[in-house]
This record gives sequence, C-alpha cells and structure tokens, in this order.
Amino acid sequence: MVRIVDPTARHRVTARMVQIFSSVADTWLRLFLIGGLALAGGGTVAAVGFAHSAYMTDTDIRPHQPVPFSHRHHAGELGIDCRYCHNDVETGPQAGLPPTETCMTCHSEIWINAAMLEPVRRSLADNTPIQWTRVAKLPDYVFFRHDIHIAKGVGCETCHGRIDRMALTYRAKAFTMEFCIDCHRDPAPHLRPQDHITDMAWEPPADARKEGEAIAAHEGIRQGELTYCYVCHR
Amino acid sequence: MRRRTGPQARPAGGQTLWAGIEELSDDPRFQAYIEAEYPAVQQFSRTARREFLKLMGASFALAGLTGCEKSSFVGALPYVDQPASETIGLPRYYATAVLLDGYAQPVIATTHAGRPTKLDGNPAHPTTQGRSDVFLQSAVLQLYDPDRAAAPSRHGDPVSWADVEVAVGTLREGWRADQGEGVRLLLGPSTSPTLQRQIDAFLKQFPKARVHLHAPAGLDKRRQIMAAVYGQAMEQHLVLGECDVIVSLDDDFLGPGPDQLRNALGWSQSRRRSSDRPGNQLFMAESVPSATGALAGQRLIADARRMPALAEALANALGVAGASRPEVTDAEGRWIARAAAACKGRPGRSLIASGLSGGGAAALWVAKINQQLGNVGQTLKLTAPISGPAGAGTLAELVSDINAGRVHSLVVFDCNPAYSAPGELDVRDAIKRVRSSVHLGLQRDETGALCEWQLPLAHALESWSDAYAVDGTATILQPVIAPFDNVKTQHQILAMLLGDINPAADVAVRETWQASFGDAFEAHWKQALHDGFVEGAAPFITASPVSSTIAPPNTAGDLDIVFRPDPTVWDGQFANVGWLQELPKPLTTVTWSNVIAVSPTLAKRIMAVNGDHVEVTVGERRVSGPLWIMPGQADNTVALYLGYGRTRAGRVGNSLGYDAYHVQPGTEPWLTQGSLRKLGTTEDLPVTQLHHRMEGFDLAREVKPGQVEPSSPEQASLYPAWTSSRNAWGMVIDLDSCIGCNACVAACTAENNVPVVGPEQVKAGREMHWLRIARYYTGDIAAPRSFFQPVPCMHCEDAPCEMGCPVHATTHSPEGVNQMVYNRCIGTRTCSSYCPYKVRRFNFFDYRLPADSSEHAAHNPDVTVRSRGVMEKCTYCTQRIEAAHVAADKENRPLRDGEVITACQQACPTRAIVFGDINDPGSEVSRLKRDGRHYVLLEELGTRPRTTYLARWRDEEKGSGQG
Repeated sequence: MVRIVDPTARHRVTARMVQIFSSVADTWLRLFLIGGLALAGGGTVAAVGFAHSAYMTDTDIRPHQPVPFSHRHHAGELGIDCRYCHNDVETGPQAGLPPTETCMTCHSEIWINAAMLEPVRRSLADNTPIQWTRVAKLPDYVFFRHDIHIAKGVGCETCHGRIDRMALTYRAKAFTMEFCIDCHRDPAPHLRPQDHITDMAWEPPADARKEGEAIAAHEGIRQGELTYCYVCHR
Repeated sequence: MRRRTGPQARPAGGQTLWAGIEELSDDPRFQAYIEAEYPAVQQFSRTARREFLKLMGASFALAGLTGCEKSSFVGALPYVDQPASETIGLPRYYATAVLLDGYAQPVIATTHAGRPTKLDGNPAHPTTQGRSDVFLQSAVLQLYDPDRAAAPSRHGDPVSWADVEVAVGTLREGWRADQGEGVRLLLGPSTSPTLQRQIDAFLKQFPKARVHLHAPAGLDKRRQIMAAVYGQAMEQHLVLGECDVIVSLDDDFLGPGPDQLRNALGWSQSRRRSSDRPGNQLFMAESVPSATGALAGQRLIADARRMPALAEALANALGVAGASRPEVTDAEGRWIARAAAACKGRPGRSLIASGLSGGGAAALWVAKINQQLGNVGQTLKLTAPISGPAGAGTLAELVSDINAGRVHSLVVFDCNPAYSAPGELDVRDAIKRVRSSVHLGLQRDETGALCEWQLPLAHALESWSDAYAVDGTATILQPVIAPFDNVKTQHQILAMLLGDINPAADVAVRETWQASFGDAFEAHWKQALHDGFVEGAAPFITASPVSSTIAPPNTAGDLDIVFRPDPTVWDGQFANVGWLQELPKPLTTVTWSNVIAVSPTLAKRIMAVNGDHVEVTVGERRVSGPLWIMPGQADNTVALYLGYGRTRAGRVGNSLGYDAYHVQPGTEPWLTQGSLRKLGTTEDLPVTQLHHRMEGFDLAREVKPGQVEPSSPEQASLYPAWTSSRNAWGMVIDLDSCIGCNACVAACTAENNVPVVGPEQVKAGREMHWLRIARYYTGDIAAPRSFFQPVPCMHCEDAPCEMGCPVHATTHSPEGVNQMVYNRCIGTRTCSSYCPYKVRRFNFFDYRLPADSSEHAAHNPDVTVRSRGVMEKCTYCTQRIEAAHVAADKENRPLRDGEVITACQQACPTRAIVFGDINDPGSEVSRLKRDGRHYVLLEELGTRPRTTYLARWRDEEKGSGQG
C-alpha cells in the first residue's frame, strides 16, 4: 500500500483557498456587458432620435404671430401664387417676407376694418415693420440661396411642405443637414418642371428619376459638385 | 531655422534669404524661438502632466455641450415699403469716394441691408482703375468707430445743434462788426470745389478773415517746393507707365500716400511691358529703406542731406547748364554715372523725381534735368494746383498771429493741429489763447478737447461732398448710409457760418455743380453719382523751372533726422482703426507701434538692439521710442515715423508708440539734424517678421533677363489624383510687381471678417491675417536687397493639412479648393503644424465682437464669423466663387474668366495677383502659369500647390544697354 503524500497539504490547512467569485458572478458579468451594450446602443438610438425629434427640429411648433396669417386661406383657398408675396425668391438668396405694402394692396380694399389686421394697419400708419416670428430658419453657418434652387427645379413644397394646408405656418420638414445633403447627393428624383415650381399639389410622376434626370440635364445641374463643404458653408 | 542646403538649393541671387537680423547671429535662444510652432510657447512654463490630463479630461467631458443648442425662433422684420431696387439678402453697390489728404480715392461701396461692409476701388475710374490702398480698404471700419464724436459739445459737455446755431449766430454778429478781423479758418488738405466755393463766400462776407492750411503729411511743403521751383503754384504728375528709366532721389513714390495707386499702377504697367525682360529700370538713392527702394534694381544708400548734391551731380552728368560737379563718394559717383547713362538717348522716356527731404534745392535740379531730357509733358506732367484751399496761409503764420494777439476766433476744419503740428510751433498753447475756438472733426480729438466747441463731422461715407482725385477728375461723394449719430458735414457747418441755418446735406454740393452741369442738371448729376466721377482731368500746363538755384539748407549736426508719415496710420488720423494698426508695416513688419529706425552701423555705435529705448534730441526737444535696426539704411540718418503717441485717438489708438511731431521743427519739418542716445530701458515690439516661417530654401526667387525658371517635372505621388470638376481654381502672384503695400491684406481682412487680436497676441505670433506679406533680405546687412512675397493658402493638390486633420475638418473640393469646415474643427492644430507654408491661423480666443458693438455692421454677412478654438485660413474667397457659380448656373452657362475676383486680387494696386480657372487654357492665370518666370513655392515637398509665383526680375548690374 502506497501512501501518497501531498506536499502542499500542510499549506492547505493553514491557507485555505477562498472562493473569490460567487457562482452567479459570471451571469452578472454577462448581464452587465449586455446591459452596458444595450444602454450604449439604446442611448445612441435615443440621442439620434432626440436630435431628429420634432422637439429638437421644431417641426411641431406654430409660433405665435402678430397676425394669425393663414397660408391655407391665401395660398390654398384663394390660390395666390407664392411669388406674389415672396417676390425675391427668384432673384435673391432670401424669398423675402412681404412688406406691409403688399398686404395692403388687397387689405385696403377688403376686410379693411378686421380687428385681426390691426397690426398691419398700424405698421403702415407708424411706418414700423410687423414683427413676425421666423418659421423656416437655417443655422447661421448655412448659406442657403432660394434663387438657385428655384432656377434648377426645386419646388417650394419640396422643402416647405404643404403650406397651402397650413392654417398657422409651421416647419414641415426638419432642416437637418441630412435633409439637405440627400438631395444634393442625388437631386434627380426631387426635381420638377419649371411650370410647377410653386405648385403645391404637384406629385412626382411614376418615373420620377427619369424625368428628374432629364430636368437635371436640361438645367445643367452640376451633379457631383454639390456636396462639397463650401457649397453651403463658408 | 534649420537650414538645409542640397543640390537643388539656389537661393535668390545666389545668396541666402534672411527675414530678421537675429538670424544673422548664431544665438541659441533665437534658434529655440524659431523652432517653436508658436513663439509664445517658448515662454510657457512646463505644464505638469496631471494638470494637463485633468484639463484635457474636463475639455473632453464638456466638449460638444455647446452643440446641444435647440434652434430657436427669431424675429423677422420685413420692410413696410420695400424699395423697388432692393432684393433682400443681396448687396447693393454705390459709387462714391473716401479721402486721403483731401484727394478723392474713388470707391465702389458694397452695402448689405443698408450697411457698408466693403470698399473697393472704382474700376471705371480713369486714374485708379479699381485699385485700392490700405486706407481706402479700412475707411469702412473708421465709419463704425464707436469712439467717434456722436453729438456737438462745448467744453466737453454735450449740447444740441440748436445751441450751436445760437452760438454761431452770436459769433457771426461779432465778426460782422469788424469784417472778420481776427477770424481764422484752419483747414486740413482739401480738394472739394464746394468747400472752396463756400470759403470764397465766407471771405466775401468777412473780407478780413484769413484761411490757413495744416497738412501734417507734407502736402504744404510739396506745394512750397513746387512754387519755389516753377515760380508759381503747380502740381506735378508722374507718368510712370511711359518710362524706360526712373531715377528717384529719396522719393518713395510707390509708398503710401494719395499718389500711391496711380504711381503703382503706372510703374507696374511699364515694368510688365515685355515678357522677357523688365520693362523699366529703377534707380533709387535713399536714406531710409522704402518700398520704392526695395524694388529698385540700382539702389544707392545716401544720407538725406546728400540729396541736393546728388541731384546737382546728376544734372552735371547730364549736361544741365549751371550745374557744377559737387564732391561725391565713389559709390555715389558710380551710381550717378549709371543713372545718367541710362537716361541719355531716351528723350521723354525717363523720369527723375525727388522727395521732401531733398527740399527745394534738389527739386530744382531735378526739374531742370527733366526739362533737359525732354521729359516734361511726356513722363512728367504739370497742372494747376488740384488741392486747396487756394491762397491759404501756413500754420506757422497762424500761430504767430495768435501769439501776437491778432486772432480771437478760430475754426479748425477736419484736422488735428494740437497733435499733428510740429512741436516747435506750440500749437496747443496758441489754441488755448484764442477766445472762441471751434473744432470740426470725426472725433473729439486732441484739438477738439482744447477748443471751446467740438462739432462732430459726418464720415465721408455718410456725407454729400465732392473732391478731386490726384489727376483732377472730380468725384461727387454720396452718402452710402444715413449718419448713425447727430453729425453734420463740413459743408453744412460752413453754411451755418455763412448764415444759412440747417440746410439739407446735399444743397451746397448741388449748387456747386449746377454751374458746370447747366441745363440738364438732374441727368448729369445722376450720371455722375452712378459713374462715381465726372469725366475730365485737370488740363496740363507747361512751365519752366526758374533759372536761379536754391541753396541747400544748412546741415550742421551729426545725424540727419528725417520724418515719414506712418505707412498704416498715416499722419495719425487712422490711429483708431484696428485693421490698420494690426497691418505689419512694410519692411519693418512692426505692428501697433512706430519705431526709431537707424542703420546697423549707428545701432552698433550706440550699442543698441531692436526694442531698446533711444532718445532723439532735436534742438531743445527730445522724444524717446523703441529702436529698430533697419538693414540698408544710411549710416547717419535716423527715421522717425509720425502718427503715433496719440492721447485722444480712442480706445484702439491711444498710448501707442511715441509722438514724433514733438521734435519736428516748424520751418524745415522733413529733414533736420539732431542726436541720438540710448536709454536704459527696452521693450518687446509686436513684430511679425519671424512669424509663420517656412522651412526650405529658394522661397523668393529672381531671374535675369533671358533666363527662365526650369519648368517643373510632374512629380510622382503616392496619393491618387483628384478628379477635377469643370473649374479648377488657381492663383499666380507676380513678385516683380509686388510693392509690399499691404492692400491685399487689408482687403482680405475686410472681406473675410478677419479679427484684430491686439499687440500682445501679435507678440505671441497669433495674428490672424489669412494672407501675409513675407519680407526677406539677401546679402549684407548694411546694403541688403529686399523681397516682398505675399503668402496666402496655397490650396495644395496633395495638402498635408488634409492628411493631418483627425476629424476631416479640412477637405478638398473638386475645384481644388482646400476647404476649412469650422463646425467640424476641434482645434487640435495638427493641420497648422503639418502646413509647410504656415498659412493657417487659430482662434486662441473668442474674437467675436459683442452683439451691441457698432463694428458688427462692418462684417461681411456672406462669411462666417469664427468662434474660439477653430482653425481658419484663406478660402480663395469662396463666397465670391459660389456667388459667381449661382449667377452662371442661373443662366445655365459656364463661368467666364475674370468672373471670380478674390478680394486680394481686386485690391492689388499693381495687379500682381491673378486668380482664375487653370482648366481653361485661355484664362489669364493659365497664361501666367506658362510664363518663363513661373515657379512653385517649396516645390520639393510635392504638395502641388495651386497658388504659385512669378520670379522677380533681377536687373543687370551694368545699367546701360539694358532695357
């Protein structure tokens, strides 16, 4: 009979190995890793979602205006062309808010005593501008020009949405860089014929891309040159 | 600088380039200073590692928080009644003029929403042809100066114009009683026919009143010299475009001043006449290095007092009757022989000019030489005086009259004699002695503070007025903006003195032009306003110099002391304009201060170095300021620069530099004698000459006639080539035409909202100019050759900055423009350290102006105002490129050559900068890129820059026989 002597046995008695991790530690670690990843992923999704949310992009706000001007009534029901009031849109970088005089071309004839229009009449009488709140605004580092977009076949509705259905004006599209650059990368499907630029109800034809390519070729759009930084930022 | 020399090394003229005298010594401190990316880093203590990590951690944690800004709704104010010609968001342009020494500098003012933001020369103007200088470019900032006087004041207390009207009424009654006896008007230089007409009317009302002229930049002296030389009042006009040979005796005709644009344009035209050799030869004898001297092929260094003798010696060599041969040194003799030989046999194709320090003696010889060479009427034209007021007395006469008690009322028009008069005249004491004194000026300056009444004037851009350009072509000044403050024009105030209370601003001007426009007045008037000038320069007259001689002034004394108007703040009137203060002065590259310039020999003699305080004594008066060792200055000449040491210039211009007027003599204000002594103190000057240094060789090149720059072989690159879109932008800068005037830098500052950082930051190497004019020397410190080299962003095809940026904030456009995206930039400054041309600038601080500051309105709304922590640099004026694209794309046509003009190109008085499409072989820039003088800066690095240079012509040493 052989007696096997364990040379470490003596030590085992004096310094017994202690279990550092409990048996569920591994599970906790897995849970922690999964939870961490989920949190990071979810956080990213949440952050991106938040950045695109109506709250951040202000697409759900109808800011208070001194006169509750209705595009639905003027542009939709009466069918006044956009350019009647925003008459710099084809010539300059800004579409231009109509001067008081433009309002008064009609409102010196109709609704001349409407209480709603009191700020307009006061503006004319005092020669002070009406203090509108701007709805469609881009950041200061974006140098957007209306005239070139109109000239190349981008309709009003493409960026501003169905203005003709807005009782009080709001921002229909989130003016994120993504929104702009999608079109700058591939303008063709977003283009429309010149005679439908201000047409709110215009629907792209079934072969929008083919039609758009034809328009792009006709208008001489510099495809591929519209995405570099200095086109919009300088 | 670690200087590498290799087989390719071919420094200009076979010699090494150096930028500052420190480089010529082997001082290890200087080596350390040079090797630091930013010189200020040398002075930092070593930050502990932990401290650094803590700060970086905090920065990372907080980084991006500023991006979490929710877009806010802001107000929008439409017009009540929109003017028919207004398109919201597009600039409008008006033709008018700003003034320098009374002369019109015709401009086209760009206004955004009614605010002038940029001035450029009027391209249709027959004389200036759209060129600019630094004063023209910066006048728009002076308009918005918040330190301008906003309302009339009496003894410093604000009053209303009604009070002024009452007081003027009382004064007028007193004056009428004795026909204006004891009434004096003191005017700055003016060319306005309306002002002249009003003064004539004033003198008719008050026949015993007198008019005096105060011209601190030397216009009065020039006029006296002309009168002495020709025996009648006269103005001379250099026709440099027609010259084969130009000889200048201390006349810096390419330097700053009302004549700079015309002279620079003419000079560059004749210089570029032929493509295989320089079109003219320039001989310059000068005491103090100047722009003209820097460009001269044959430069003679001579003390200022030598000029009359040199003039006579040249006259003698050219056989002018009555000229004896004065004693000249060997060097002088050789220079004169060469100049004389070059002038001979070219009747009417040469031109001799002399400056203020030579006085009447030199000017008379020069006039006789020009007569002898048949230049009069060809390259030198004479007209009746353009600048007024006619028949004015001098400031010295006014002071002596005041001191004799003969003056009780003094009206000072738009000049500042309490500051800018020669100290010897003691004008301050004299003004205090006058019973009733009125000052008209943009500011309540030194004179305004001494006078009883200070009446604020409208800026030229707010005024109706008129003025003549240097050639006598009239411009009617129209306001491009309604005055911000309660100010009036000179004409309105003179009308008040004439008894016409509160006339409209344009009445007096219309009345003047009624006479010449006649019946179809409105049509002519509108045309003149539209064009920005009235056709018709001053008619030329003929005259001969007097036959006698003028004795040169007595020149007893050790050192010649000469006075020069400052190249950026002129006589001090622009001291409060930050853009001008921050421009590095040509040749010295000093900013925010003036210096006492001496020769290296003289500095050695008094054992002083740059920045040491020295004291200049002239007679009983002394002034002290920082010393500057000017390579190539005459040994015994000391140059003092006017325009600094102001006490009431405003927040920007006060207490900078020293006041050189204090020691200026009353009788001979431009050349005197005195002594120099070193004081114990020293100061650190804001100098830029060693900033933004490139490491390499052969930076500024020159070629001899007949030589060509070797055409560069296409270098292999590891990087794939970019595909180019239709347009590919490029630039060529002609070093042979660059006069180092800084107009391009000023224009870039105005166009691109470049901030002013102040002297302390300049010392730290943090000036923000997107374009620098590097100045190099070659050769001996006592007589070096000087080079100017404008260096904007090179827009490299293989740009090291693009490869270095960790966040892709600097990218390449298909048109070859190296783009800087401010929003992406996180401020690592890697791009700047990678850039071999050192053209990138970092915003160490938030230089944005507070929202309520008036200078805000001067910003170009088409360019982002950069915030702290981002890099910026030349964009090839991308806003102009994009605007041109939009204009062309709307018409569905390609861009035409010359449709995009960068701000620097537009300003350059010699058209040395050409920008355009290098894909178009017919464009001017492509043509220049094929020129024999074309070369690429730091070509050996393989960056393939889009901005390239034309080498300077090296004039042959043996003057005669060369064209």
